[in-house]
Amino acid sequence: MAYVRKDVSRLTAAERARLVKAFLEVKRRGEYDEFVRVHIDYYTPDGEDGLRAAHMAPSFLPWHRRFLLDLERALRRVDESVTVPYWDWTRERSASGVPWTKDLLGGDGRARDQQVMTGPFAYAAGHWTIREGITDGEFLARDLGRARDPIDLPTRAELDRALDDPVYDVPPWDSTVTRGFRNRLEGWGRGSGKASWHNHNRVHRWVGGAMLSGASVNDPVFWFHHAFIDLQWERWRSRHHGRRYLPARPPGPGDAQHGRIVARGGKLPPWNVTPESLEDVSRIYRYA
Amino acid sequence: MVVGVGGVAVGAEPGARQPGRAGAGRPTRRELTRGLFASLAALALAPVVAASRPVLPADGPAGTSFDETYRGRRIRGALVPAVRAVDDGEWQVTVDGRPLHLMRRADGSWLSMVDHYSSYPTPLAATRAAVDEMGPGQRLREPAPGPAGGGHGGHLHMGGDHGVRA
Repeated sequence: MAYVRKDVSRLTAAERARLVKAFLEVKRRGEYDEFVRVHIDYYTPDGEDGLRAAHMAPSFLPWHRRFLLDLERALRRVDESVTVPYWDWTRERSASGVPWTKDLLGGDGRARDQQVMTGPFAYAAGHWTIREGITDGEFLARDLGRARDPIDLPTRAELDRALDDPVYDVPPWDSTVTRGFRNRLEGWGRGSGKASWHNHNRVHRWVGGAMLSGASVNDPVFWFHHAFIDLQWERWRSRHHGRRYLPARPPGPGDAQHGRIVARGGKLPPWNVTPESLEDVSRIYRYA
Repeated sequence: MVVGVGGVAVGAEPGARQPGRAGAGRPTRRELTRGLFASLAALALAPVVAASRPVLPADGPAGTSFDETYRGRRIRGALVPAVRAVDDGEWQVTVDGRPLHLMRRADGSWLSMVDHYSSYPTPLAATRAAVDEMGPGQRLREPAPGPAGGGHGGHLHMGGDHGVRA
């Protein structure tokens, strides 16, 4: 029986409390920091050697889908009523609204050091010490909206431009492609600066602090954001009548992407599951 | 491993100048993997291979090092020739003496562990951007101790096992 992932703005007070409690328990058990490490370890950009499974690659979507399922399983081992909610940043665009409330993720970081001071993930609450960080602060850091040089969250129109693209991904299957649903959603643009930050990437930057870093998983909003990204894959498949993951076959030995990306039937590390096996998740969960 | 720039040998040797990263005619990584590898690499990387040890003139040619104070932080970076002939060097960058891991995009731009979801045209720009995003009063973490205990101990500031290659 498939379970339901809900819009975070529609959780009841009781659901919020149970969700938070499950996150804190997964952290207490030491499991959470392993998720942070895995995400760091699999971040191989396309200008470096080696297989890219998680970013700048077609498997951006299935890799994070499986990553989310693992976290969700950890949460559900604590409390089986819990599922990962999604944050629809095309609607919830305020730095003081959901999910930044005291009973959920807490608010913005303070100006002095970006330290989150409110909610269950504030350092002072004692349950969320950052162990796998990039900077030496042990506290969760945020800079919602980027105070120094503000930016907005991606718009519905920008998200629609990704969803409207009928092709899943195109060669050379990396961060330089300007067509294809995958990179339009992942959000690697040309050049530098505000105009080059799109959809998924732009949200990481809007949240700032931990979410902008290699250790972005330290902010639990990572999962709410990626549940919304995952939902877009479902919407895209529906909008385009079940169009498939590409490439269907691995690039050949003469191709520069040979051995660098995972094709539809290839194995995604660290799980050795295929993107194909993650295209239809309707038996596991659905979005409400 | 990331080595603090302060620990890098300094002093020019004849013939040890590194070619500029964006120099015309240098092979891209894609070309290397396409099989042009042997001939092109032999030509283009010869000067690097010739260097028997890291050689970084402090006032070296533009594009191979920087050392400045940016928004109150000392940022230093240097392109260090690689040990393996197939690589053409590694940027080693520090902010206030602590290593900042840089990574490369296919379009030639750079991203850092602090700012991982956008990229910048040069290592200096990526380093300044990292400073911009670090909370005031925050420092980079000290490098993780060696792999004692196994696991991921050494990976944190490395973004995995991958060195930074120019």
